[in-house]
Amino acid sequence: MIVDIFEGREGHIREKTGSETLPLACNNESLAGAVSQRACVYSGARVVLNPLTDALHLVHGPIGCAAYTWDIRGSYSSGPMLYRSSFSTDMKELDVIFGGEKKLAKVIQELAASYRPPAIFVYSTCIVGVIGDDIRAVCKSASEELGIPVIPVKSEGFKGNKNEGYKAACNALFELIGTADYTPKSPYTLNLLGEYNVAGDLWSVKPYFEEMGIEIIASLNGDGRVKDIRRAHLARLNLVQCSGSMTYLAKRLEERYGIPYRRISFFGLEDMASALRTAAEFFTSDDMKARTETIVERELSRVLPKIEYHRSRVEGKRAAIYMGGAAKAVSLVKAFRELGMDVVIIGTQTGDRDDYKKISYIVKDGTVIVDDANPLELKELLWKQKADLLVAGVKERFLAYKLGIAFCDFNHDRTTQFEGFDGMVNFAREVDITINSPVWRLPVKRDCQVRYQTTEVEDARVPCYGNS
Amino acid sequence: MPECHATATVNPCSMCMPMGAVFVFRGIEGCMPLFHGSQGCSTYMRLYLAHHFREPVDIASSALSEKGAVYGGAANLKQGLKNVIAGYGPLAVGIATTCLAETIGDDVPQIVREFRQEPQASCVTIFSVSTPSYKASHEAGYSAALSAVVRSLAERSKPNGKINLLLGSIVSPADVRYIKRLLCDWGIGHILLPDTSESFDAPLTKDFPRIPSGGTPLEAIRDAGNSVATISIGAWANGQGAGDYLQEEFDVPHNALPLPLGLEATDRFVGRLETLTCQPLPEEYEKERGRLLDTMVDAHKLMAGVRTCVYGDTEMVLGLSSLMKELGMSPQVLATGSSSPNFDRLASELAPGAKVMSGADFSQIQEEVEALDVELLVGPFTGRQTARAIELPLLRVGFPNHDRFGAARQLVLGYEGAGRLVDAMANALIDDRERRPS
Repeated sequence: MIVDIFEGREGHIREKTGSETLPLACNNESLAGAVSQRACVYSGARVVLNPLTDALHLVHGPIGCAAYTWDIRGSYSSGPMLYRSSFSTDMKELDVIFGGEKKLAKVIQELAASYRPPAIFVYSTCIVGVIGDDIRAVCKSASEELGIPVIPVKSEGFKGNKNEGYKAACNALFELIGTADYTPKSPYTLNLLGEYNVAGDLWSVKPYFEEMGIEIIASLNGDGRVKDIRRAHLARLNLVQCSGSMTYLAKRLEERYGIPYRRISFFGLEDMASALRTAAEFFTSDDMKARTETIVERELSRVLPKIEYHRSRVEGKRAAIYMGGAAKAVSLVKAFRELGMDVVIIGTQTGDRDDYKKISYIVKDGTVIVDDANPLELKELLWKQKADLLVAGVKERFLAYKLGIAFCDFNHDRTTQFEGFDGMVNFAREVDITINSPVWRLPVKRDCQVRYQTTEVEDARVPCYGNS
Repeated sequence: MPECHATATVNPCSMCMPMGAVFVFRGIEGCMPLFHGSQGCSTYMRLYLAHHFREPVDIASSALSEKGAVYGGAANLKQGLKNVIAGYGPLAVGIATTCLAETIGDDVPQIVREFRQEPQASCVTIFSVSTPSYKASHEAGYSAALSAVVRSLAERSKPNGKINLLLGSIVSPADVRYIKRLLCDWGIGHILLPDTSESFDAPLTKDFPRIPSGGTPLEAIRDAGNSVATISIGAWANGQGAGDYLQEEFDVPHNALPLPLGLEATDRFVGRLETLTCQPLPEEYEKERGRLLDTMVDAHKLMAGVRTCVYGDTEMVLGLSSLMKELGMSPQVLATGSSSPNFDRLASELAPGAKVMSGADFSQIQEEVEALDVELLVGPFTGRQTARAIELPLLRVGFPNHDRFGAARQLVLGYEGAGRLVDAMANALIDDRERRPS
């Protein structure tokens, strides 16, 4: 056992040895009392849908659920700002006792009248699931009355983990897709699924597709617009970036509309180039293929020298990865390879059996793979694996800092754009500036000038900034 | 952009009850908070607190699932307690319920009584507090948790000659440090609760403890029934049930005071301590008071008649508004997302003619701010969209503050804190004027 903190977590932590693939326990309920880093069903639905910029996102529940998710996603908009406001039915005790349907109906009317949104998403929370409000019925009659889509999102917090929330969001989007007509301008059309325009990521990849002659019908959901989503069924191809959140939708679209999908990633030079090539390959246009190669060559020669500079400063350092979903984690392994760094820990909140199989295939021997980790395990693992850097989200940031370990934010509230060719330069820089910051070399313990007789025993596991 | 609505809450100015309980539990030595409810609540609030304090914040969860919601959460809660005790080795566990646990009707005190029979429970103190999200705001959750802790621990043995100092509302670690230093410099024996001065603002050290060090020792809370008197600060509008309980149960006289924010409120707090101890305020603090006065005089013309909107937690709004009145400013909007009838009365007395709002959201606040030609916003960072929409300077004060550094080190209490606030308000106004085309 690599770390042994909670009974019942044994199967979730493994070290890769030899060529065997590791059967990791995963995709089950979090252990009570273990301080999982996971959130809830509602949170999963919320992060997927919220980047839809012009929709009105209404949370049917007590104020907390709305307050803690208000404007927390770092998804940018090139226009509408409605998604950055928080709307809630703010359920009170009486609503819980007598049911919240009437209040919900009234709130929908009120908000539709003053904001005139092209669509409203109504999220259910834990309490709605317990008291049994029929939000589907409320949404249906509101939709008929208002003449706009009012779509229920079945995201009762306790009914599973984040994956269930992704599914609920995909189902909501599926209801919206296919409700408008449109004649595409280009014969080559696609949708981007699971691209959230965090820190403006989308804008760093969109121009390449345009240069290739491809029209992006809808971006789901980064910098997304309701009218684009409604016509997404007209695209010929779906490119799925965040596979954990959107593969389900891609499959449903394939089933219903016969649109094939490909999993891609815009992060890392190798993955970025391969994403563009995947699209060109699909459309079987020689001209497009040639254009794609020109783009890749041009961009690589432009960014490689910059990346080389940072690579020389971080080569050989040890990285730990802890992500929400597996897609980003896998992309990160490749990106670290491009920087000459070793991945020593890799974990996700909600990976499934296939994800972990894939992960264990691509990582080196000695790498620890962990599912649904908690702060105590992460802390032990970071020490034992002697990580120099942790890539994760805000909750993990301060854990790393307290341990004296560099940190790179790769979550949905980051503010640096990491996708595309330029994004990789930003990522390399970010890794470089945190690993090589002088703050880690400052002495944590001052040399006391008053001498005592006692000798101090150094614990080998304790991080030591001064001497490392 | 947001419009005002009768029914919907648009851009909230408050949080939910369990959030308040975390502030109390984290202010107790060796105490680990545990939410009885679904996993998301603990993760969201951890994230929210991590953003604010820039510290790791661990909150356990009983991680209720669909099964738990149907058959009751007792098994999950007990397993959660076992794991928290095994993993964190806490001296105490503070359980706060969420709306899920409350609505399915779990009897938490009964589950805890049953758990006490388990071998793991022998050396751990367990508090529980009922904090259903839909009942009231984070402020009410804070008060309820403080009462629950004092009620479950305080006892009567022999007089200790100390003064209980209850922090009746959320203040920063720097504020707690200031109050502690004042009492130490003054030589006043005290029991201060909750003490988040270290646990929410931990120094970087070689060893990184599983539960941050600091916090009020359990022993001290037990001893609170033996004190000479209790002073609750930040308990003006909301009162403080914990202090009232100590008075009723152990005859410890209780005074509920405003936050010592601004000159007069700090005088009042200091004066009360003088009366109780017969010891004059140390000379160093008299000088600090003089420096505050000096600062206020320096800034008085800049501040004259400046129309402000103050929003956030009730006690903080009242405190900030009194400081503004002392400076000759003109608070126009006093708003809180919480609901408190006393707040409405006290705020109207403090700033006659101002718009006073309870249970407000930012759509309502913004409407008043625009109508009343406000020049400066003072409150948590949640007002930033309002500030941007109408191009007003916003001075971030209080919780939450996610987009600026230093929330944990923001001192607003005492003579020193008031002085810093005067500087900050003055500079915010000057910065704003310099930004605008002349």
